[in-house]
Amino acid sequence: MEIPYIVTPRKDTGLFNAKIAIWLFLASEVMLFGGFFSSYVFLRLGADYPWPERTLPVLPGLINTFVLIGSSVTVVFAWAALKMREWRKFQIFMGITVFCALIFMVLKAVEYNVKFHHQALRLKDYSIIEGHLGKELDGDKKEVLDHNGNPIEENLIYVEASKLTFNTRRFHTPWLEELLTQAEQHKSTVKLTADLKGEEGTSDEGKIYAKSGELLSIEFLNRMEEIRKAATSNNAALRTTALRQEWVKAHAANPGKRDWQISAGVNIDLKALKPKMLTEISTVTFTVDPPAKFDFHPRDIKAADGSSRMRDDTVVEGKLLDSPMGFHHVDAIDFQYLVMKAVEKGIEPEIAIENSWLIKNNKFAQEAWEWHQGEIVKLKAELLKKGGLDKDGKPRLFPTHKELYRIGWKDFAKKTEDEGRVKLSSSDAFKEEFFGPNYEARGDETFPELSVPREQVGFAAKFSPAWNTYYGIYFTITGLHGLHVIGGALVLSYYLFFGRKMYLTNPEWLANRVEIGGLFWHFVDLVWIFVFPILYLM
Amino acid sequence: MSSHDTSHAGHDAHHDEHHHNPGFIWKYVFSSDHKMIGMQYGITAMCFLAFGFYLMMVMRWSIAYPHQPLPEWMSWVFTDGWKARWLQDGKVTGETYNMFGAMHGTIMVFLGIVPLGFGAFGNYVTPLQIGAPDMAFPRLNMASYWVYLAGGLIMCASFFMESGSAKSGWTNYSPLAGFADGQIVTQILAGQTQWLIGLVCLITSSLLGSVNFVTTIINLRVRGMTWMRMPFFVWSMLVTGFLLLLAFPPLEAAGIMQLMDRVAHSSFFMPSGLFTKSEGLANLSGGGSPLLFQHLFWFLGHPEVYVLLLPAFACVAEIIPVNTRKPLWGYKSMVYSVLILGFLSFVVWAHHMYMTGMGAAVSTFFQTTTVLISVPSVVIITAMLISLWGGSIRFTPPMMWACAFIPMFGIGGLTGLPLAFNLADLHLHDTYYVIGHFHYVVAPGILFGFFAGVLHWYPKITGRFMSKTLNHLHFWPSLICMNLIFFPMLVQGMAGFHRRWYNGGDAYLSQAADSVNIFGKTVVQYIDMNIMMSMGAWTLAFFQIFFFINLITSWKFGKKVTSDNPWDATTLEWATPTPPGHGNFLKDPVTYRGPYEYSRPDCEEDFLPQWVEPRRLDTADKPADKH
Amino acid sequence: MADTPEAIKKSIRTYLFIGGILFAGTILTVLIATVPALDMGAHGFDKWDCIFGLTIATIKASLVAFVFMHLNHEKKAVYWLFASGLCMVCSLAGLTALALWDPIFDSFFYSGH
Repeated sequence: MEIPYIVTPRKDTGLFNAKIAIWLFLASEVMLFGGFFSSYVFLRLGADYPWPERTLPVLPGLINTFVLIGSSVTVVFAWAALKMREWRKFQIFMGITVFCALIFMVLKAVEYNVKFHHQALRLKDYSIIEGHLGKELDGDKKEVLDHNGNPIEENLIYVEASKLTFNTRRFHTPWLEELLTQAEQHKSTVKLTADLKGEEGTSDEGKIYAKSGELLSIEFLNRMEEIRKAATSNNAALRTTALRQEWVKAHAANPGKRDWQISAGVNIDLKALKPKMLTEISTVTFTVDPPAKFDFHPRDIKAADGSSRMRDDTVVEGKLLDSPMGFHHVDAIDFQYLVMKAVEKGIEPEIAIENSWLIKNNKFAQEAWEWHQGEIVKLKAELLKKGGLDKDGKPRLFPTHKELYRIGWKDFAKKTEDEGRVKLSSSDAFKEEFFGPNYEARGDETFPELSVPREQVGFAAKFSPAWNTYYGIYFTITGLHGLHVIGGALVLSYYLFFGRKMYLTNPEWLANRVEIGGLFWHFVDLVWIFVFPILYLM
Repeated sequence: MSSHDTSHAGHDAHHDEHHHNPGFIWKYVFSSDHKMIGMQYGITAMCFLAFGFYLMMVMRWSIAYPHQPLPEWMSWVFTDGWKARWLQDGKVTGETYNMFGAMHGTIMVFLGIVPLGFGAFGNYVTPLQIGAPDMAFPRLNMASYWVYLAGGLIMCASFFMESGSAKSGWTNYSPLAGFADGQIVTQILAGQTQWLIGLVCLITSSLLGSVNFVTTIINLRVRGMTWMRMPFFVWSMLVTGFLLLLAFPPLEAAGIMQLMDRVAHSSFFMPSGLFTKSEGLANLSGGGSPLLFQHLFWFLGHPEVYVLLLPAFACVAEIIPVNTRKPLWGYKSMVYSVLILGFLSFVVWAHHMYMTGMGAAVSTFFQTTTVLISVPSVVIITAMLISLWGGSIRFTPPMMWACAFIPMFGIGGLTGLPLAFNLADLHLHDTYYVIGHFHYVVAPGILFGFFAGVLHWYPKITGRFMSKTLNHLHFWPSLICMNLIFFPMLVQGMAGFHRRWYNGGDAYLSQAADSVNIFGKTVVQYIDMNIMMSMGAWTLAFFQIFFFINLITSWKFGKKVTSDNPWDATTLEWATPTPPGHGNFLKDPVTYRGPYEYSRPDCEEDFLPQWVEPRRLDTADKPADKH
Repeated sequence: MADTPEAIKKSIRTYLFIGGILFAGTILTVLIATVPALDMGAHGFDKWDCIFGLTIATIKASLVAFVFMHLNHEKKAVYWLFASGLCMVCSLAGLTALALWDPIFDSFFYSGH
């Protein structure tokens, strides 16, 4: 039996199956994106940090909006062409639609790429620095490569390690490999500090599991892991049996009493058990000879002088060396968060900024801030002229929090352009709307280097979901939307490239399918119609 | 009045077989036939239910005997290595209890009851009851099952990870759920992360399924099957489909965001200044909102409980008319009630969040809608009860379970009312009272409805009845044990027993005679109930064995049915051959009347099936001639 | 829904026209947001920018839904189906926001979230 109403609509509902299905699916998609938009509202209203208003370059988003609207129009034309049985026209319009999807994704990829390479840093005093990190350079100013052949960013924790202690259950093999590689690069040997032998009084007393001086290797730790597993299994089984026996005895000695009344007195006799137990080797310590300078990603290690702990519970003993964060190009300095915190405490914003680490320690920041304050005076005058005073004698229009306390890359660019030091061609300037500030063309005067000592580092991340909830929700919504664009494009391409056969046998069926695909495509456009103003313009 | 002759194998059947003879894999494994998919869902769901049950049994040991090591009859399933890692001298630790607790809830709700109710019963029976040859999108249906299985396996695989499974409650609140298992370097191997990935799979499966169901019910109803001639079962499934369709996506959003919190270190749900013992100040941006997760979770969470409930209502509503030989009382009211229930279920969610610092306006709103939503539920259950009045009741096995459903669900529903009120919930939130309430609804409520459904449709699926004796052995102990387990929970909850204690309250008992431990004095009065409840749970487990024996042995040895309509029912699924073949009906049935035409005065028999042609008035058979 | 070639030809002109409106609406939104001269209300981002932006976006979205997705020709059932989704989103967003705006603590004393 055939399933009815696949092509022809049912009389009383007037719909064929797939149309109902797609509208149902779209209703659920409304809920999905609605959930994300509600989250956006909730996160923005509840944010306890200055929400980055109008922080994204508008041009890529705007072009993408035009591209999607255009593709919405062409997909409808494609469907119309199919209904009128004009195959060539259908191919052309569908082709344009899919091509628009491709442009959209390329622009999106460019946007994402630029953001993922852009570094942000919040100092301990809540001032924020943005820019690009430098790469580690050797004496000849050539990039140093790590053991995977990638350049190393100047954001590492350096420890002159003399001892490494591994947790035999939790050690992370890739990190172990990295440590071994680095030790080799520094020409240090990593060997077992002391004999690993069975504990006194246990069943494997005196047994030597590994001799001191044995070299660290993945195989070694794996072997230790097996030994530990065997020991813990054996011991656990023994202790369990012992405890069971204790309870049997306790119940017999205390008839009618509840467990909780007698539990305090029910204990395993560990001394008696010890001769049967195996030694559990939970950590293994190695000496690094001579002590070597290891580098770690800040996220992987909790650094402290003397003893640092990695996230896999590896303990690195040794001196914590200078581990500054090195910006090759600083392109924004943002005091909004610092000001917000200062105002909460009742401190004047300007005073708080004057006392920030940046202003006190960095000449460039000082100069930029002074220049910026001059610009603010000009802006205030302009706004006064435009809006006048209100009835209380206060200016009706005043600069925004962002304008007052954030010096963005466009401000830095304007500064050096005003000073006549830099001039960009219009095509380069246009490209900056997509790829961010052009460091080479504008040079170090506009975007200088800056080294931040590790003690000042509060929180650092790329412009990624980790940086703040704004980028989190931005990437999530646009990423999910992008996945829908890809999905929709794949479905439409399928009809474009493989629809000929269906067109020849059952063109109405194909027209229905294309209509359904088109409906989904319109929905994707619909979501973007909201995404663009909300995330880019507000 | 003979029932429609369905047993002759016309050339249609031969044509079908010739045209569609799949191999073993396509017929039994990757089947796109709704009946096979329904059975796949059913068997998989039952396996997950058994697994979730086992987790609960271990939890109950910890509650009743927190100081004693797990007995061998329970611990033999675990490997020595697992026991060494997760038990302390054989005793259940707090962490292990939390793992089992979180997974018990998740597995029972998402992997057990919803797939059983919606996936198994819904898939099997719905197309049959509306006269359709299959679901509107059979291959989508198949995809829905396999994605469910994948999600379920991912979630259960997490038990074998170094981190263990998810352990932050089935509700998985951030910030705990955001950083639990955070010490695992490769996050995809962390139990919490796998839980989220599994959840995304399950949500996808549900969405695909619900689109299928609603489209099928709207468009594939057979000729004559108007909206008000549909069995209540189909109405329930329609509303369930809508609930799943519209309520799940915000949880998917929350799941994606929590996944990003874990993997991309975002701070959607992580507040500023988060400090943990292991890490100190968290290396996160902060600025997020834990409350946001709760809103998104419960936006699904509340419709979800109606997703659990409505299929059980559906089964019971079918079984009662068949076994009382009279129409379902108040069919129209029940239909309107279920529609209103579905709509209202979307605006009551924050009654799970009364303790989050909500102000008067919000909590009053949700209190009002929650109390309102009890009305349609009461209407439905009362209609079911009234349906028994004056009926010629046949206590067949399905009817026993259906009759037990009504009072058990009644208790569950009524115990929910104090929880609806903000003020009472202040005392009862997160106590055992809540656990007692929802388990009454789900365990002796919904599950009894499903047992009834299995017994009712088993003869159609297999051509044999399930054993009455085995059913008695299953039914009576289950009924008693369920009450033994869950009624004391209501008492303990009112005394203040918290719902997530792993030691049953033991920690609050002070040994010192001069201690000022007032709470301990309350705990000591009710703590012994734990033992009785745990014994009840283990006994309950034992007697479920009879159900599985019944299910399996009746397939080969059960009493054979003598017709395609062994219960003398009126709905369309009984017009198919036994078991229904591919395409279900030998020829398209036509519906001539409502679904519960029993004991009509103008009929010789006490039922008039939907598909039987009406007698013409101009023939010799006049009503007066026939008694 | 347009089925005959003539009807389809007519709707093509409508589609182009609506497409043009969408383009114009987008440009208008960007101009209002970026050009200082067009900044209504206070300087910078304020509630008027929000209201204008969202209103224009809603109008654009409605045009796409009703014309491009032929929702205005579709059976009532479909329209209500889609609308139900929108209703639910509004209840999710609205009630969640209400919870934020109606906390149990006096905001003077409680500044956290």
